Amino acid sequence: MPHPMIDRRTALLAGAGLLGTGLSGMPAWAQGAAGGEADPYGADDPQARRGGILTIAIANEPPNLDPFHQAGDARTAVTVLMYQGLMFEHASGTAKPLLAESMAISDDGLAYTFNIRRGVRFHTGQPMTSADVKYSYDYVRNPSNGSPGAADFGVISEIEAPDDHTVVIRLSEPNASLPMTLTNRFGCVVPRDTFANPQARARLSQQSVGTGPFMLQEFRPQSHIRMARFPNYWRQGQPYLDGVLFSVQPNAASVLVALRSRRVDLALLARPQDAEQLQGQAGINITSALSLRQCSLDLDCNHAQLKDQRVRQAIALAIDKNAVMQASIGGKGKVLGTIPAAMQESWGAPIESLPFQKTDPARAKALLAEAGLGDGFALDLISIIGFEWMDPAAVTIAQQLAPIGIRLNLQRVELGVWLNAFRTRNMRFTFNDWGTQPDPHLLYYRHFRGTPRGADFRNWNNAEANRLMDTGMATPDPAKRREAYLGLQKVMDETVPTLMLFSPDLVTVSQQRVRNYVQHPTGWWFGLAKAWIAA
Amino acid sequence: MTEALLRRLGAALVTMVLATGAVFLLIRAVPGDAIGEMLGQSAGDPAAEAALRAFFGLDRPLWSQYLAWAGDVLQGDLGTSMRQGLPVAGIIFDAFLVTLEIGLVTLVVAILVGVPLGLAAGARPGGIFDMVVEGFTLLGLSAPVFWTGMVLLILADAWLGWAPPLIYTPPGISLADNLEGILLPVLALGLLQAAAYAQFTRQQTAALLRQDFVRAATARGLPARVIFGRHVLRNIAIPLVTYAGLILVQILGGVVVVETLFGIPGLGRTLLAAIQGRDYPVLQGALLLAVLVALLVNLLIDLAYAAIDPRVRGA
Repeated sequence: MPHPMIDRRTALLAGAGLLGTGLSGMPAWAQGAAGGEADPYGADDPQARRGGILTIAIANEPPNLDPFHQAGDARTAVTVLMYQGLMFEHASGTAKPLLAESMAISDDGLAYTFNIRRGVRFHTGQPMTSADVKYSYDYVRNPSNGSPGAADFGVISEIEAPDDHTVVIRLSEPNASLPMTLTNRFGCVVPRDTFANPQARARLSQQSVGTGPFMLQEFRPQSHIRMARFPNYWRQGQPYLDGVLFSVQPNAASVLVALRSRRVDLALLARPQDAEQLQGQAGINITSALSLRQCSLDLDCNHAQLKDQRVRQAIALAIDKNAVMQASIGGKGKVLGTIPAAMQESWGAPIESLPFQKTDPARAKALLAEAGLGDGFALDLISIIGFEWMDPAAVTIAQQLAPIGIRLNLQRVELGVWLNAFRTRNMRFTFNDWGTQPDPHLLYYRHFRGTPRGADFRNWNNAEANRLMDTGMATPDPAKRREAYLGLQKVMDETVPTLMLFSPDLVTVSQQRVRNYVQHPTGWWFGLAKAWIAA
Repeated sequence: MTEALLRRLGAALVTMVLATGAVFLLIRAVPGDAIGEMLGQSAGDPAAEAALRAFFGLDRPLWSQYLAWAGDVLQGDLGTSMRQGLPVAGIIFDAFLVTLEIGLVTLVVAILVGVPLGLAAGARPGGIFDMVVEGFTLLGLSAPVFWTGMVLLILADAWLGWAPPLIYTPPGISLADNLEGILLPVLALGLLQAAAYAQFTRQQTAALLRQDFVRAATARGLPARVIFGRHVLRNIAIPLVTYAGLILVQILGGVVVVETLFGIPGLGRTLLAAIQGRDYPVLQGALLLAVLVALLVNLLIDLAYAAIDPRVRGA
């Protein structure tokens, strides 16, 4: 019997298209791109019982349900059930066809031709055609429409719809992550002319117009989101549930109370360590999965002493990430190197090969002395109010940096203030908490690529990193792409614009009656499309 | 009386203009805006940011934004929420009904519990019952609402295996579900207010019982029931009504804590979300309503005075 780890790694690498050629002689990555499963959401369950409303507790409420103008994870987590893209961000790390049936890439990598799935209807009743796809993606990529996804779509030069079931997307330069861009964060397809109505944005919080398995029934801010099964969903007989109810819970404690009292069927714990309070509770299942979320420490390369690369390296060497994770989330996660946990096996540089991921206070002290800061200095560390893990992490890091002479002043700021500093590239020395889709280009480019092509929030401005990110973007062969991103991670490790601390585990708690629910590594609720409730 | 009311209304109008202007400027002085939340970590595209700012009118000068808002308000339009895309009037009205219900039920509980306790304790200052009420008052006044709420939530879960319903149900849909939903918030908030009410009533009663006219009535041999009914209750009625108004305003101010703790979609929670998301139209609309409610409550108290005290009526 093969070792389970080898099986998993093999599966992940195969999913990412990194195991050479397949049986047909086509490169593996091209096969992965062209060949879609019947339903990428996962396997059907022949024993599934139809009906019932599944109740889910959520701690983060989306401000609205507009898939084009709201970037937050809280929005995407629920709108993926109502809106779908041409492609799907498969847990393996590849983009698989969803509203597309297949995809072909031109030899020069500048034209992507999609065959559109037949028999798909919008919640409005209209059939979906290529004209709707063209309208939706033209809308997102036009910056004057104000979509946060515009930058990701910026490489598209033209979209054609030669017939009802074909879409051709032409690029101004090759972009290997285009299929992943057309997934469910900003790549949703809506009926053409949706935004011709000036009230369209408001209506998206009252009525869904997507193609997903559930349609919006009611959105009551600060209370709940109710969705009903879409009877004309393109996948016959799905979803199994009659509906889902997302109940907005005010804090982690009330989520636990709701689970214990069986008022809710399912929850994703905001604090993975809370699972211990539910251990041994009869009728409750707890599962844990790798996450694409990262809790990190960002170092603004244009701020005070952090301008000196040796100072950033010293900080990296002085921090024991495992101790920080233990203090912050009770150890319920994975310590990171330069990539989130769920991408480590497919795209990550081995942590042991990265010299600045080790803890070495003596070398840290030497580096500070070399930088002329042997007597130490004071630095502000910023955490965000409401992100509970940051406070214990701040105290732990302050203790770890003190022996090398860095005295941290701990500051707490409100999220709006923090976002403003982030957006204006004035991050200084701060904690961060963010997620990604499982693609290295989408992970790194906007955050780290120099301006104007990227936003370079940490003022890294690293020419070699820029070159590697551009190479990664332009290279279609996943094996070569991986090389570029391994190189990038090496540069990132050496120059330390960020310290990815850990990925908290995705801990899903469900009542025993919930069946066939699989948690996606993004933390989004795709799995409800296949879940059902036992009698 | 009419002149006094008109004077009050005039002052209220000035207060409203000053308060809305202050909030308008203060909230904009805080770093960040609604665009920041919309873009999140997907920011970095100046063209998209500029487009969003123009869409919400945030690219215009402040005075122009304020005048546009005030002009719309005068025409009965509170604007549209930047975060939710829904009309502000609807958001605030729905949320306010929830808060008002909790506030009024809490007030009734506070009166029904606090007044009898205060009267009984004040009737015999220093007695055993007075000491018990004093203990209750001390506990109620010193326990923060969020602590009381959290303890009630945990005790209900641990002892009864019961938790509040997940979703607030308006009384018009199901009174039973509604009461189940507001039970713990009202208890948490009611404990504090009942304690405050009991303390106030006790002090008023004890002070009145020391008055000469009460002592004279006692000396004349009037039964305690008559002294209480005719002299004490009638004399403390006005302070108790005044206090009810103060308590209601306090409850409406403090309800944000219980709404946040118990996930009740009331005005407090709406306001908190609007502050966090820099949803200017909702904030301004909610403040307008808060000022209106405070003014209305004060007005009602004045009218209640007139009903109770003929001297005020004649003024």
